[in-house]
Amino acid sequence: MPDVDPLVNELRAIVGNDYVIHLPEDLIVFEYDGSVDKAMPSAVVLPGSTAEVSEVVSAASRAGVPIVARGAGTGLSGGAVAEQGGLVVALTRMKRILEIDPADHLAVVEPGVVNLDISTAAAEYGLYFAPDPSSQRACTIGGNVAENSGGPHCLAYGVTTNHVLGMEVVLADGSIAWLGGRTRETPGYDLRGIVIGSEGTLAIATKIVVRLLKQPEAVKTLLAVFKEMDQASSAVSGIIAAGIVPAAIEMMDHFCIEAVEPAVNAGYPKGAGAVLLVEVDGLSEAVEEEASEIERVCRSYDPMEIRAAVDEEERARLWAGRKGVLGALGRLAPNYYLVDGTIPRTRLMEVLARITEIGDKYGLPIANLLHAGDGNLHPSVLFDERDPDQLRRTMEAGAEILELCVEAGGVLSGEHGIGLEKQEYMPLMFNDEDMAAMAKLAPAFGSRGRFNPGKIFPTGKTRAPIPHAGAVARTGAGAFI
Amino acid sequence: MAAWGADAAELVDAVNGAAGGPAACSGADAYGIDGVTPKVAVRPAAVDAVSAVTAAAHRAGAAVTPWGGGTRTSIGNLPRRYDVALDLTGLDQIIAHNPGDLTATVQAGVTAAALQRTLADHGQFLAVDPPLPESATVGGALAVGSSGPLKWQYGSVRDVVIGMKVVQADGAVTKSGGQVVKNVSGYDVARLHVGGLGTLGVIVEVSLKLTPLPAHETTVTASYGSASDAIDAALDIFGGGTAPLALTVIDASAAADFKDLESGACHLAVRFGGRPRAVERMVSEAQAASKRHGCRRIRQADGAGAASLWRQAADFGWDTATRPTVGVRASVTPASVGSLWAALQRQGTAPGGRTALVGHPAHGIVQAHWRSDGAQPVDEAARAFIRSARRAIRAAGGKMVVEQCPASAKAGLDVWDDVGDQIAVMRSLKDQYDPRRVLSPGRYVGGI
Ligand SMILES: Cc1cc2nc3c(=O)[nH]c(=O)nc-3n(C[C@H](O)[C@H](O)[C@H](O)COP(=O)(O)OP(=O)(O)OC[C@H]3O[C@@H](n4cnc5c(N)ncnc54)[C@H](O)[C@@H]3O)c2cc1C
Repeated sequence: MPDVDPLVNELRAIVGNDYVIHLPEDLIVFEYDGSVDKAMPSAVVLPGSTAEVSEVVSAASRAGVPIVARGAGTGLSGGAVAEQGGLVVALTRMKRILEIDPADHLAVVEPGVVNLDISTAAAEYGLYFAPDPSSQRACTIGGNVAENSGGPHCLAYGVTTNHVLGMEVVLADGSIAWLGGRTRETPGYDLRGIVIGSEGTLAIATKIVVRLLKQPEAVKTLLAVFKEMDQASSAVSGIIAAGIVPAAIEMMDHFCIEAVEPAVNAGYPKGAGAVLLVEVDGLSEAVEEEASEIERVCRSYDPMEIRAAVDEEERARLWAGRKGVLGALGRLAPNYYLVDGTIPRTRLMEVLARITEIGDKYGLPIANLLHAGDGNLHPSVLFDERDPDQLRRTMEAGAEILELCVEAGGVLSGEHGIGLEKQEYMPLMFNDEDMAAMAKLAPAFGSRGRFNPGKIFPTGKTRAPIPHAGAVARTGAGAFI
Repeated sequence: MAAWGADAAELVDAVNGAAGGPAACSGADAYGIDGVTPKVAVRPAAVDAVSAVTAAAHRAGAAVTPWGGGTRTSIGNLPRRYDVALDLTGLDQIIAHNPGDLTATVQAGVTAAALQRTLADHGQFLAVDPPLPESATVGGALAVGSSGPLKWQYGSVRDVVIGMKVVQADGAVTKSGGQVVKNVSGYDVARLHVGGLGTLGVIVEVSLKLTPLPAHETTVTASYGSASDAIDAALDIFGGGTAPLALTVIDASAAADFKDLESGACHLAVRFGGRPRAVERMVSEAQAASKRHGCRRIRQADGAGAASLWRQAADFGWDTATRPTVGVRASVTPASVGSLWAALQRQGTAPGGRTALVGHPAHGIVQAHWRSDGAQPVDEAARAFIRSARRAIRAAGGKMVVEQCPASAKAGLDVWDDVGDQIAVMRSLKDQYDPRRVLSPGRYVGGI
């Protein structure tokens, strides 16, 4: 671990004594309890402005200490974990919404702004920020940018990269640059697009210009309950085939239903094998028509029940089941390992069946909750971490699920990123030349070995489980994924 | 490193050898850029051959420019070196269209029109409308990175790409992304190539996100006495409750070039798509907004009439009939379109030519075209137009690129806008991906 003591004094001079944390006992208080993050940084610094970030980065760079940027710490792939020690630069003090521009439908915000706060602030103009990760009450826009986060409603509206026009960044030499801007087109390479999704390895975002959308005038939410998972999968394909791209299509299997029903009384009938939650929004005329079309499609797959929310209260109730799953899985097993992968949506039925087989093979139940509309799966392996053999089987099952996703024409991660969690799986998708081309980005940004080293690319080390419990706890009560 | 010094015959041999036979096109003349003709033009029919040609050029220190439909090769600074035209229209396969997944994977040389026809058979389309789609290739449209009017609703050109295969400057073939619509596995390197004008790699294959064709479409066209009224109406609709697919303002001078637009007036064309009842309501709201801003006449067009209008709007400035002497594309925020427009229009009265403006206020794009009347020395007048356009665009807080300009007027001119502090990273990207300056040297921002 690098010796940071001389650096600490420099950092104090930059941000003030209160905003540098480096004694082990203080770091523990600062959310690093070792059990959930498994790695302790050498120090944490909380800059309050772009200028301070720049000075901090320069000082760390001179001292040869690597930097890990951190937002709310809700990332699920270990992106903010300082695995090699070094300096954590926490952006949570930089949480001002600098500007909301209702005429141009954009906002300029600092990186530590919590995702939901942007929409809350924009609401007075009838606008909102579309990417809505389920962690949106806690996660920061800086983290969203780094992970290119999505959310249940990204099916129709796209993910973070589709909604960020530009950003100010601090590069690894401490210099400050604007990538993109306030306008839709800017000349030169799309560095904005490269930094988004780069998991904190290329640049630290210090200001972000986001697009705002008009709040839809109408929203309609439907719940369709099926006996079998296959019927629900077919209904998803049927909806897309009808030329409808709803705002969201969420799906849950019988394990999820079994866990959540007693906990939240969502009203799922006994014997239900799968639940679909479909939401459409937009102009009221379109919403009415699409909703009835979706209902018609669902009816052709012999549902046990279809329910449409008549008001906001009922809509919340329909979502409550979906949102309650994660918390309720604890009823089925002490731990879950939630895998994130995407497959072509037409292959849902076959892949879900294979996942069940994988569960059988390893003797572990696998609960499936998914952003079904875009094929983004979250199979959750249920296990007990106190049993080392179960832990081993869980990791193997997880690996097989990822292999399955790639084999089915899909990918390693739909929204949680590679980080530490999946770096060893990268060769499933990319050969050495592909990765060599990707690996040229960090030297071009001058950030190699300086920003978030040791992430994304395979290291040859054995895969260690990335505990999600810490991130989920930080998201607060009612966390869902 | 040395530029290609040996004679053309040797380069032709190397390229032919790499392409696995006499693949070089005979008429290299057809591939001129800004008056510079390459020594050889080659049209490989497979990715491997593209790789071999690029590798051969890399070894030889020759400069290669990827070539799609050749519709927008006027974009860029004067080529510093140009030895090989790499025509990609031989890569014309639609590899897969998965209607149920709303995705397709195509080779870069497929024309936009051919792809749209295939997709339309399944009620889908790619939400990108480059000019001259019968010639423009998908790879070329992505390399240029800017598109036509159809943008506000569906996002930018870059947003349709979900995966990409690229031939690197040294011939290595690499891929990124995937074939699914939601993916964060590894760096999104395709972003470098969308809008990168082929200066960091040759796009050979792309996976694309598709959109269902709207069930119903219609276009409302309103004419105004002044452009500022048309722009105000456009912004009114932009800020209102409806969601047009496209929103385009055409000034009186540009309208003269449109087949079905009454000349002597400015026009606002609004394209709506969706469920019939929703479209009906959007139309009546657009009509109301138009009236509020004093429009003179409103017309509505469907089918072929509307298609022709939007075709002309996307082609404007690129087809031979409307090609300007100088074409400037500006990007500002929506609220600044009005003031920029007024400033640009004032230039129209300058002697030596005629200015025509077409803009898409909802995403802040304004195309300013100047056509010389031939009376004055063109270069000087062209530079003067560019200078004052640049001033106006800067004052409006925007960015610009000169897309068309006589080659003779390009000497000493940077057609790109200043990219600010990012330039250092952009240069080092070029160092990383193309250290021998094989790919279109000199044509990109900052002389990259
Ligand atoms: C309950 C729960 C639900 C979730 N649901 C979703 C979901 O629906 N969709 C989804 O996509 N994700 C989801 N996530 C994952 C996570 O919330 C997102 O990845 C989120 O964007 C992380 O934001 P954060 O502020 O917590 O970032 P952190 O976890 O602190 O950091 C994540 C990464 O971002 C980098 N980083 C942080 N700030 C900056 C910055 N300013 N500049 C550069 N790099 C930076 C870090 O170095 C790290 O690599 C969920 C997580 C939980 C716990």
